[in-house]
Amino acid sequence: MTQVARPAPGRPRKLDAFELPSEPGNERLALARVAESVQGLGLSDSRLEKLKTAVAEATMNAIEHGNGNRAEIPVEVEVTQNGDEIIIAISDQGGEASGEASGKTGPAEEPDLLKKLDGGQSPRGWGLFLIRNMVDAMDITTNGQRHTIWLTMRTGGAAHGEHV
Amino acid sequence: MASMCEATTRVLPGAAIIELSGEVDGSAATVLTDAYAQAVTPDSDPSTVVLDFSAVDYINSTGIALIVSVLARARAERRKVVASGLSPHYREIFDITRLSDFIELFPDLDDAVSQLTGPAA
Repeated sequence: MTQVARPAPGRPRKLDAFELPSEPGNERLALARVAESVQGLGLSDSRLEKLKTAVAEATMNAIEHGNGNRAEIPVEVEVTQNGDEIIIAISDQGGEASGEASGKTGPAEEPDLLKKLDGGQSPRGWGLFLIRNMVDAMDITTNGQRHTIWLTMRTGGAAHGEHV
Repeated sequence: MASMCEATTRVLPGAAIIELSGEVDGSAATVLTDAYAQAVTPDSDPSTVVLDFSAVDYINSTGIALIVSVLARARAERRKVVASGLSPHYREIFDITRLSDFIELFPDLDDAVSQLTGPAA
């Protein structure tokens, strides 16, 4: 029988913390390491895939929009377990610029496929939309230059649109 | 950044097939554009473009944008786009983004080809 690690509720446990240079493609390193750190916590395969996609997209945003692809500015990733919640914090140094990219400081237009197909919207702009639809909760905080996206995934339950 | 995506193309009567492998991300733009140009020519003039993802292990939001661009171009040329070989996770992403409203999904390439060209193809 699979053993599932469950800390006492209310006592967060840090599972991993690491930094990555802000270089395109490094989101793959982030998703692989996060996947490794949440092994054995009881996430189903489909929810693990969703979490990996959300981590990759949030890391891409941090690399590109937050840190401007400047390798010397690291993206920081922290993985915490709190009861049945896995919380991933992904931070960059983009301050308000990251906020604009994430829609925090201005209305980010919801992607509309028909508009994209007809040329009314750029084909891009799916990142934040995907993140929101992959995890149970997404929060964004900005403290000075430090901009953090928080992803929460419960080890049970269902993310958006998921049937269990 | 070097592309981790590769594409092979072939043309059947009425359908052009683009078989993708590796990672469909921003670095795949040239690969996908070149593959489309190779598969869809005035001579081949296919009514359907098949994108096969059986050997793709990663698609990100920029890759989704590239797929949207392929779909937009095909629609402008009055061609249909279908997809095959998506994993359950990426099928769900095609549903969430509504790509599956415009791109018919097949479990694998053989299914797509036999539907498009008949079992004898």
